[in-house]
Amino acid sequence: MVKKLYKLGLVVSLGMFLFVLFSDIHNLDRTSKNYLSEHYISEGVQETGAINLVTSVLYDYRAFDTLGEATVLLTAATILAFLVPVTKADMLGTTFTIIVYQATKYLIPFIAVLGVYVIMFGHLSPGGGFVGGVVMALIPILLSLTYGIDFSEYKLTPNTKKVVEDIGAIGFILLGLLAVLTGNNFLANGQAGFPLGNAGELISAGLIPYLNVMIGIKVGAGLAIIFNSLMKEQ
Amino acid sequence: MELPFVVVTILFCLGIYTIITQKNLIKIVLGFTIVESSLILIFVLVSYQPGGTAPILDKAYHLVVDPIPQALALTSIVIGGSVTAVMLALVIKIQKRYRTLNVDKLRKLKG
Amino acid sequence: MDMIVTLLMIFLLVTAFFMVFTKQTANAVIAFPIFGSILVVLFVIFQAPSVAMAEAVITAGLATGFFVITFNKTKDSRKE
Repeated sequence: MVKKLYKLGLVVSLGMFLFVLFSDIHNLDRTSKNYLSEHYISEGVQETGAINLVTSVLYDYRAFDTLGEATVLLTAATILAFLVPVTKADMLGTTFTIIVYQATKYLIPFIAVLGVYVIMFGHLSPGGGFVGGVVMALIPILLSLTYGIDFSEYKLTPNTKKVVEDIGAIGFILLGLLAVLTGNNFLANGQAGFPLGNAGELISAGLIPYLNVMIGIKVGAGLAIIFNSLMKEQ
Repeated sequence: MELPFVVVTILFCLGIYTIITQKNLIKIVLGFTIVESSLILIFVLVSYQPGGTAPILDKAYHLVVDPIPQALALTSIVIGGSVTAVMLALVIKIQKRYRTLNVDKLRKLKG
Repeated sequence: MDMIVTLLMIFLLVTAFFMVFTKQTANAVIAFPIFGSILVVLFVIFQAPSVAMAEAVITAGLATGFFVITFNKTKDSRKE
C-alpha cells in the first residue's frame, strides 16, 4: 500500500513538472519567430520542387535522418530474424470459410495499386515511402494470415525479401552518392543540379520520387520479415 | 494553458504509471505505446496554428502550419512501430522460457 | 470545431484509462486500435495529414496485428 502511494506520488510530481514544461513550450512557440520554418515554407517549393513540405523536409533537407531511420528498421528486422529459430511455424489454429479466401484473393490487386499510388505520389499528396511501404507489406501479411505461413513463404521466400530489402537500402545510398559524383554534398538534390521540373507534376522534384521508391520497397520488405518472424515464433 | 496540453500531460503520466505498476508484460508494452502517442500528439500540437492550412502548397496560402515537427513525428511513428515489434518478440521469448507473463514471478526466479 | 476537439480529447482519455485499468488483457489489446483511430481524427483536425496516414497505417493497423499475434502466442499464461 505504501509502495503504491509512493509510485502514485512519483507520477503526480512528474505530471506537475511536465505541466510547467509544456506550458513553457506553448508560450515559446507563440512569441518567438521560427526562421527555419519560415524559410522552408517560403522557399521550399522553389528549392526542392515538391509541393508536400513534409516530404521535402524528410527527403531533401534532412534526408540523412531518413537514412538513419531506415537503418533502425533494418536493425529491427535483423534482430527478429536472429531471435527466431528456423522451425516450422504453428499457425493461429483457425480455418476460415471460403468467403475469406476468395475475398483475400480479390483484395490483393487493389492493395497493390493503392500502395504503388501512395509511394509514387509521395511528393504531391500525403503519404510517401513509409506509408506506401507498409501498405505493400500488407500483401504477404494477408497471405500468411489467411492461407498459412507455408503458402506465404512458398510464394515469397525469406531470402527474396532479404534481397529486396538490401536493394532498397543500397539503392538509397547509391542515389545519395550520385550527388557526390557531381561535386556536391551527400544526398543533395536541388543544389546538385538535378532537373526539378514543374512543381505539381508526377515526374518532378529531382531525386525525391526515386528516394521514395527505394524507401518504400525497403520498408515493405522489412516489415514483412518482422511480421513473419513474429508469427513463426514457436 | 489549453485543454490539449493538459490531456498530453495526463496521457504521459498514465503511460509512466502503467510501466511502473502493472504486472502483465503486454500491458507494460501498451504503456510504452501510450507514452509514444502522447509525444507525437505534442509534436502536432506545437506545429498547429489556428487558421493555418496543411503544408501541401498546391497554391499560395497565407498561413501554413510548421512542417518540421510533423516530419519529426513521422520519423517517431515508424521507429516506434519497429521498437514495439522487437519488444513483443522479447515478450514471446520470455513467456516460452519461463511460462509466465507476471513480472513479480519473473523477479523471484533465479537467473 | 472546439467542441469536437474537446469531445475527442475526452474519448481519448477514456480509452486510455480503459486500456490500462481493465482486468483482461484481451480488452486492452482490442481497445488499442480505437485509441489510434481517435488520434488519427485529431491529427486531421490539427492539419497534419501525413502524420495521420502514418498513424492510421502503422500504429492502428500493423502494431495491433503485432499485439494480437503476441496475445495468441502466449495463451497458456493468460490467467495471471
